[in-house]
Amino acid sequence: MDTSLIALSAGLAVGIPALATGYAQARIGSAGMGALAEKPELAGRVILLVAIPETLVILGFAVAAMIILLLGGG
Amino acid sequence: MLVPMAKVRILGHRSALDAALAHLYALGTVQLVDVADQAPDLGLPPLGLDGPRLRELERLRLLRARVDGLLDLLPPAAAASPRGAPAATGAPAPPPPFDGAAVAEELERLAPRVEAHTLALDALAAEAETLPRQVEALKKLLPLAGDLPDLEGSEVAALLVERRQARVLPALREALEARVGRAVEVVSAPLDADTVGALLVFPKARAGEVYPLLGREQVSRVRLPARFEGLSFRRAVAEMERRLEALPVLQATEREALEDLLRPRARWVAIRAACDARIAQLEAARRFGGTSSTFVAVGWVPAAAVPALRRGLVERHPVDVEVVPPTPGEEAPVLLRNRPAVRPFQRLVELLSSPRDGGLDPSAWMAAFMPLFFGMMLGDVAYGLLLLAVAVAVGRRGRGSPLARDVAGVLRPCALWAIAWGVLYGELLGDLGHRLGWLHAVWFNREEALEPLLLLSVAVGGAHVVLGLLLGAWTAGRRRRWRELGKRLALLVALGGAAALLVGAAAELPAGLGPAAGAALVVGLVTLVVLEGALGVLLGPLELLGALGHVLSYLRIAAIGLASVYLARVANELLFAGPLWAGLVVAALLHALNLVLGAFSPTIQSLRLHYVEFFREFYEDGGIPFRPFGRAGAVDAAGPGDDAPWTPPSSPSAPASR
Repeated sequence: MDTSLIALSAGLAVGIPALATGYAQARIGSAGMGALAEKPELAGRVILLVAIPETLVILGFAVAAMIILLLGGG
Repeated sequence: MLVPMAKVRILGHRSALDAALAHLYALGTVQLVDVADQAPDLGLPPLGLDGPRLRELERLRLLRARVDGLLDLLPPAAAASPRGAPAATGAPAPPPPFDGAAVAEELERLAPRVEAHTLALDALAAEAETLPRQVEALKKLLPLAGDLPDLEGSEVAALLVERRQARVLPALREALEARVGRAVEVVSAPLDADTVGALLVFPKARAGEVYPLLGREQVSRVRLPARFEGLSFRRAVAEMERRLEALPVLQATEREALEDLLRPRARWVAIRAACDARIAQLEAARRFGGTSSTFVAVGWVPAAAVPALRRGLVERHPVDVEVVPPTPGEEAPVLLRNRPAVRPFQRLVELLSSPRDGGLDPSAWMAAFMPLFFGMMLGDVAYGLLLLAVAVAVGRRGRGSPLARDVAGVLRPCALWAIAWGVLYGELLGDLGHRLGWLHAVWFNREEALEPLLLLSVAVGGAHVVLGLLLGAWTAGRRRRWRELGKRLALLVALGGAAALLVGAAAELPAGLGPAAGAALVVGLVTLVVLEGALGVLLGPLELLGALGHVLSYLRIAAIGLASVYLARVANELLFAGPLWAGLVVAALLHALNLVLGAFSPTIQSLRLHYVEFFREFYEDGGIPFRPFGRAGAVDAAGPGDDAPWTPPSSPSAPASR
C-alpha cells in the first residue's frame, strides 16, 4: 500500500506539472510560430520562450525524485 | 571572440569618389554609416547623386532588369564541382569595370531576335498544350469519316453533341439543307455514354453560311488549328498527329537557337554582377556627406583591415583615411571570429542574437559545455556511435554547405561526449550491454543510482551558474559598472553560503564551516538588498531564489537522461519478451525512436540551459551585426558553374556609359 501511494504521488508530482507545461508550451508555441512567419530571425528567441515553461516539469521531477528517495528508501 | 573594430573617416576630393567607391566595394570590409545621421558632429549635408550619376543609376537598373530577363530564358548552370569535391574558397575576383552603354547597345540588337524566338517558343508551348486534346477528340470521329470520300471542294466540320441533345442533329440537317441545298451530308454515331459525334460535309464555298448557322444554333464544333483548315478530315487528323510528334523537336530546336544567341550564361551573370556592383556603389554614395569639391564617408572596419583600406585609397588617390574615436554612446557593429572547432557554436549564439559591442562572446563556452550536457543526457555508447556516423556523413555530403558543416561540427563533439558518458554509465543501447555482459558502469549506473545522478546534475548546474556569475562580474568590472559587479559578487557569496548550508543539512560539515556558511549567506543577501536599491528588500531575495532555481533547472540533465534510459529498457524488455524476430523488430523501432528523441531533446535542453540559465548571468545581447558594404554581399551567386571570367562583348567599342 505504501509503495503504491509513493508511486502514485511521484507520478502525480510529475504528471500535473507536465500538463501545465504542455498547456503553456502550446500557447507559447503557436504564438511563436505566428511571430516566426513574420520574422524568421526570431527563431532563437522563440526556442527560448517555448523551453522556459519546462522548469515546471523539472521541479515536479525533483519533487518526485525526493518522494521516491526519502519515502521510498531510494 | 569579438573582432576589434575601428571607426574610420574617409575624406577625399570629389574626383576620387568613384575610385573610392570601387575600392571600398572590392575590399568588402567597411560598414558604412549615414554621415548625416550618425556623424552630426561633422555638420555635412548628404552628398547626394548628381545628374549624370542618377541617370547612370537608372540605366543600370534597367540594364539589370533586362539581363535578369535574359538569364530567365537560359537554363540554370549545371554544377561544375564533382560530387564530394570541396567548394571554391574565398570570394570571387571583383568584376572588372564594364561599358554599360555597349552592353545596352548589344541588348538592343539582340532584343528583336530574342523576342522572335521567345514568341515562337510560346506559340509552340500553346500548341503542345491544345493539340493533344484536339487530336484526341478528332480521332474519336475518325471511324465516322471512314465512309466519306475526300471530295475536292468540300469541307468537313466535326461536331460534338451531348447524347441527351442528339435530336438536334436531324433538325440541323434540315436547316442546312434549307440553306445550302442537298449538297450537305451529316454522319453521326455515339462516341461514348455521354457524347454523340457528327461529321458535317458541305461545299467549301458555302462555309460562310454554314458556320454562322452552327454558331446561332450553339452547336459546338471541334475547331482545327488554322494551319490544318482546308484539308480533308482524314488528312487533317494525320497532319495533326505528325505535327504532335514533331513539336518536341521543334521546341528543342527553337530553344537551342535562343540559347546559342545568348550563350555563354556566365557572361550575362558577370554583367549582372557588374551592374549590381555599380548600383551598390552609387547607392552607397548617398550615405556620404560632402561639399561641392569633397566627399566624406564614415564607417566601421575591423582594426586589422585599416592598413589594407589605406593602401588602396591613400596611396593612389587624393583620399585620406583617418581612424576616429566613436561618439559617446555609439556602439560598434559586432563581428564574431572563432576557431573552426568553435565556429558551429557561434551560429547557435547568433541564433539568439549578436552580443553587444564590448561584451563577451560565449561561443567558446558553449562549445565546451553544450556537448558535455548533451553527453550527460544521452549517455549511451551505441547511440553516440550512431550519431558520430551521422555527423561524419553530414560533414562529407554537405561539403560546401556552411549549414551542413556547422551541423556536423556540433554533432561530432556531442556524439563523442555521449560515447564517453555511455562508458561511465555502462550503457550500450540502454541496459542491453549490461544484460549481455559486454559493458559495465565505470562510474555509476543511472538506473540504480538516482541520488548520485541528481547530485551530479545539481553540482554541474551549480558550477555552470557560478561560472556565468564570474563571467558577469568580469564583464561588469571591464565596463566599470561597479554596482553590477557588486551584485554579481554578492550573489556568488550568498549562493556559496546557501549551497554549504544545504550540504550541511545532508551531511555533517567541518566545525566552523556552518556558521561561516550562514554568515556568507547573510552578508551576500544584505549586500544584494542594498545594491538593488529602493526595492532591494524584495528584489534581493528574489535574485537569490532565482539563482537557486537556475541551479535546480539543471536537474533536467537527470530527467532527460532517465527518460532515455527507461525507454531503452522497455525496448530491451520487449526484445526478449516474445519470438526473437518480433522482438528484434520492435526493439529496433523503439531504439530508433529513442535515438531520434535522444538527438533532439538533449540538444534543445542544452541550448535552453545556455540561453536561459547561463547567458542570463553575463550575456548582453542586442548587438548590431557587422554588415560590410562590398562584393561579398553584392555579387549574385549564380551557381558553381558560373565562374568563367567576364569578357567584353564582341561589338565595336562604344562610348563610356558616363
